[in-house]
Amino acid sequence: MTDLVQWAALAPLLALAGAFVNGLFGRSLKEPAPGIVGSVAVGAGFVLSLIAFFGVAGTGEAVRVGFGDFLTAGSFTLALGFHLDQLSVLMMLIITGVGFLIHVYSIGYMHGDPGYSRYFAQLNLFVASMLVLVMADSFVLMFVGWEGVGVCSFLLIGFWYRDLANASAGRKAFIVNRVGDVGFLLAMFLTFKVFGSLDIQTVSAMAPTMLYGSAVLTGIGLLYLLAAAGKSAQLPLHVWLPDAMAGPTPVSALIHAATMVTAGVYLIARTSAVYAVAPGALATVAWVGVLTALVAAIAAVGQTDIKRILAYSTISQVGFMIAAVGAGAYWAGIFHVLTHAFFKALLFLGAGSVIHALGGEQDVRKMGGLGRRMKVTGTTALIATLAIAGVPFLSGFFSKDAIVVATFTSGVLGGVGGEVLYALLMITAGITAFYMFRWYYLVFAGEERLERAVSDKVHESPSVMTVPLVILAVGSVLVGYLGLPAFLADNRIAAWLGHATAAGEFSHPSVATEWLLLLASVLVAFIGLALGYWVYVVGKGAMARRLGNTPLAGASRGAFGVDALYKALFVDTGSGTAEAVTLLDREVVDRGLVGLSGVVPLIGGLLRRWQSGQVRAYAFAMLLGAAGLLAAVALVGVLK
Amino acid sequence: MVGTEYYVALSAILFAVGGVGVLTRRSAIMLFLSVELMLNAANLAMVAFARSWSASGTLTALNGQTAVFIVLAVAAAEVSVGLGILVAIFRNRVSTDVDELSEVRA
Amino acid sequence: MTAVLTILVPLVTAALVLLLRNSVLLARLAAMAGAVATLVLAVLLPGSRPFSAEWLPGLGVSFSVDGNGAASVLVFAVTLMMIPALLVALTRVEKGAAGFAALLLAAEAGLAGIFMARDLIVFYVFWEATLVPGLLLLGLYGGEKRREATTKYLVYAVTGSFFMLVSILALKTLSGAASFDVIDLMLVTPDLPVVTQTWLFIGLALGMAVKLPIWPLHSWLIDLNEQNHPSGAADVLGSLYKVGAFGFFAWGIPLLPAGASRVGPVLLALAAVTALYGAFGAIGSTHLKRFLAYGSLSHMGIIGVGIFGMHLAGLNGAMYFLAAQMVSTGGLFLVGGMLYHRRRTFDLREYGGVARSAPALAALGLLTIFAFIGVPGLSNFPGEFMSLLGAFKNAPWPAAVATLAVIAAGVYGVNLYQRVFQGPSDVPVKDLDGLEMYVLLPVVVGVLWFGVMAAPQLRRIEAQSQLTALQLERVAAPPMPGETLTLGGAE
Repeated sequence: MTDLVQWAALAPLLALAGAFVNGLFGRSLKEPAPGIVGSVAVGAGFVLSLIAFFGVAGTGEAVRVGFGDFLTAGSFTLALGFHLDQLSVLMMLIITGVGFLIHVYSIGYMHGDPGYSRYFAQLNLFVASMLVLVMADSFVLMFVGWEGVGVCSFLLIGFWYRDLANASAGRKAFIVNRVGDVGFLLAMFLTFKVFGSLDIQTVSAMAPTMLYGSAVLTGIGLLYLLAAAGKSAQLPLHVWLPDAMAGPTPVSALIHAATMVTAGVYLIARTSAVYAVAPGALATVAWVGVLTALVAAIAAVGQTDIKRILAYSTISQVGFMIAAVGAGAYWAGIFHVLTHAFFKALLFLGAGSVIHALGGEQDVRKMGGLGRRMKVTGTTALIATLAIAGVPFLSGFFSKDAIVVATFTSGVLGGVGGEVLYALLMITAGITAFYMFRWYYLVFAGEERLERAVSDKVHESPSVMTVPLVILAVGSVLVGYLGLPAFLADNRIAAWLGHATAAGEFSHPSVATEWLLLLASVLVAFIGLALGYWVYVVGKGAMARRLGNTPLAGASRGAFGVDALYKALFVDTGSGTAEAVTLLDREVVDRGLVGLSGVVPLIGGLLRRWQSGQVRAYAFAMLLGAAGLLAAVALVGVLK
Repeated sequence: MVGTEYYVALSAILFAVGGVGVLTRRSAIMLFLSVELMLNAANLAMVAFARSWSASGTLTALNGQTAVFIVLAVAAAEVSVGLGILVAIFRNRVSTDVDELSEVRA
Repeated sequence: MTAVLTILVPLVTAALVLLLRNSVLLARLAAMAGAVATLVLAVLLPGSRPFSAEWLPGLGVSFSVDGNGAASVLVFAVTLMMIPALLVALTRVEKGAAGFAALLLAAEAGLAGIFMARDLIVFYVFWEATLVPGLLLLGLYGGEKRREATTKYLVYAVTGSFFMLVSILALKTLSGAASFDVIDLMLVTPDLPVVTQTWLFIGLALGMAVKLPIWPLHSWLIDLNEQNHPSGAADVLGSLYKVGAFGFFAWGIPLLPAGASRVGPVLLALAAVTALYGAFGAIGSTHLKRFLAYGSLSHMGIIGVGIFGMHLAGLNGAMYFLAAQMVSTGGLFLVGGMLYHRRRTFDLREYGGVARSAPALAALGLLTIFAFIGVPGLSNFPGEFMSLLGAFKNAPWPAAVATLAVIAAGVYGVNLYQRVFQGPSDVPVKDLDGLEMYVLLPVVVGVLWFGVMAAPQLRRIEAQSQLTALQLERVAAPPMPGETLTLGGAE
């Protein structure tokens, strides 16, 4: 079985090969050939991932595939290799599975775009990088994938680069991500300093022997958190994700919802052994996650762009996942990654289907009632909306409930406000249900507010786009049953991931309390939905307009003004510094040293006077010199 | 055997004559002749010293003579190049007055 | 013998090219054949036998060269990048292309000499001799303000070298070494009193810091790159002008470890400043070549951090980075030259939307830019990573400051790509032609090779850096009798 599992190492190579084929020869291929090449490359990866999954399930053992050394210095060597265990094969399944569906969907969505083959080349490259990220057995190789997905994200956000706004959105994403990357680099340097190794398994094995709660371990934990915050768009580095919606919608679905933004969650789950001995860092992780979830959920309420609502929703949902890993419930975080991959990809693809149908319109105020004219898109979007809102028996309910319960019972968060975190998450869950109701209602239900020219063109998307929607919808319902609450049934996913992550400490409340917590979750979801119904259906929009004038609504629309703040704090000072440096260089450093070097021509000018060109003058000088030398020798001889 | 000091004295005289010639004559040809005189003064001194060393038995000195040959060879080369340059200059300006040749001054 | 041939072949080729300058075809053929032959020789360098011949026995100078150690990697990078540089020089230089090519080849020989010299005087001779082709390339083929740039370069370099020469001569006299051979020197110079070592090291450092270059001694580099021939061919031999790091690595630190330990922290801080300063300079530049010069200055800062961190990993990484950056930096200068060939300007504000009409150029430009800013998997990452990793172990704070340059690199990297290649396009340009494809081929190969195949080359460098680490340990804690030396690597 191990031999079969090793074949999974080919998955990223296949995606890479797809990228090469499309990148080098794609322009001579006719549509839809590049799309098929890209989809097949990822689909084959999915098959390999499935094999690996069953292989690992069969033996329960992790498999390592090595490729030889990468870096050496003295007794330190860094080997490259893939580590296939329960955690990484699950992530591989999500990446290749959802990735495959989105590739197929893109065949229809990108139809007729002049950059068709470039699109698939970059999307394949992304899948390859993402696979490397989750399969890596060392921090360095993980960083290769980590930066690789950042690069692909930059390229794909700025895919329609002729509009500078898109290009700038890509640029912003890349730069903010780089801030996180510096956190990753420094974390690696500190890890190397403390552990002397950058191999994840070695570090994980050594971590329990380290001094519990020591400052360096907390430092490592916080630096990896900075890295996670950059990639997963958490406070304070969340600003790039809403702008990233400038890219094609399937890209938003794959990169900025299902896979890349969950890399931070994966990173913390992967390094759970380190966090287990750095409780301070872990509590910070939980707080960052919860605050991000709350702030982003509030911001989502005020948005009017169909994709920006979903973007803030993504930030908020990833906040839930980060909160879960921060509480020590690593399985719950990854579980939410899994369910979220389905329903959020579905929401984005649904939004893409709408945008496609409306010829590029993205303002929800100019939509409405589309569910009647786009049956498949509308129905699947409804399922996803209910799933993310936390309606019972759908996937989102189970994973979100697992998270909020984990914050309540977590031993790590005991002294640092676990109950507060629980309460905040519950409020966030209510807001989530509210804004998702708003989103669905404004787009798919209620009266039509379409512009006439657009209205006539509305059509359901082709089946190459709707079939992936249906498959994702089925997933959005079913995958939740992998992680039923432990007091009701076997929690398969917790047991599965327990092999690959550290164990968190949790208190075990009575069954009655468990039921109470479950009921509270249900209640919150319905309160949020009911509130939405009350504001938008009963209040017929008048209520919404009245609410829109409150200061909180203003803050929500502007996402709390963080962008403007960062521009003043970092962008302006940064470019100011850059200008100051160039000025300083030209006017001070350069001039000062050139002033010094200006002495040289001065001396030269003086010496030049001696060179009269008169041969006999030279001869006389020579003679004088010789005589002087002779005299000196004679004198020295006399003195002796 | 004539004493070494006589040779050295003659060499000094020759050298001084050459030196004065270099400093006072303006014709390049005469300059060359004076330089030759100085070179040969040095040659004479070297041969004389070489003889005196070997006579006193301290060294079986051929070093002095060898040096003289080198000087002669170099001098010949120098004169041929120098005269070549002179001819070229003379063709251009019909004069070999070195005081007028100061184009290379800075 | 391979080592000597690596120096001789390009020199002979240079002379040949000059002789054949009247026949374009023959000159081109000779130049390319010579460059390819040198590349083959460079590939054969690892494991080649060191060469030594008497030169000035009275002074204790022998002509000894050795192509192993860091030299094998550095010379490989130089000879690899010579191919595109020559291709461009022979086709894009309008007047005196043969002379240009000959100077490039001479510079190649000089660089090989610097990296392979195992005798301090031989090293110094190559160090100074290599100035000449560099100066001539700038002075004869440079832009409008080449006079000023040349004077500046000359004054900086010669002033620095003067102090270096004094230190070199004092080194042997004071230590009583048997010769200028590296081993003879290394045996005795670390035993010099600390004060003496410090002063001698400062002398060496003055010469080497100018050529690292380190802030605030860097401004000649910016003008030099700006004024060099617009094709970028002269800038490709970037390490022609940036050999300082190698000087510290191979001579300064191992010969005077105690002095280096005392002066090192100052240089480390300056190097960290250089890394950030260069990055900000690049962000603030609107002239493409000045931009690249500043970006490259930032890399040199990181290399300096790796060297003066004085940890084995950092030493390995710094030398690897020095070799690898030649590929991406040189590649970008060539891409810049291609852009100039199309639009006749280096002003970044004039560009935009090139990706639309020249997708292949944009793709390769993007690859090179990403390599330049240290994206993993491409050439600059392993060296940059190792430099900072090693330095962080010994000196966390300066290394952390230098790491911030990674963010700034992200900023200037995507700024450059966006300014040139993205946005609306008003001036259509033609895409890469066949020749330019061949020019960029070695760049692409080099970018991937140095990015992926780091381990074998790091091992070769390590053979030499262990010597440096050993010397450092020797002054840090003299070994007790019977105790074996351990290296400064990871425990």
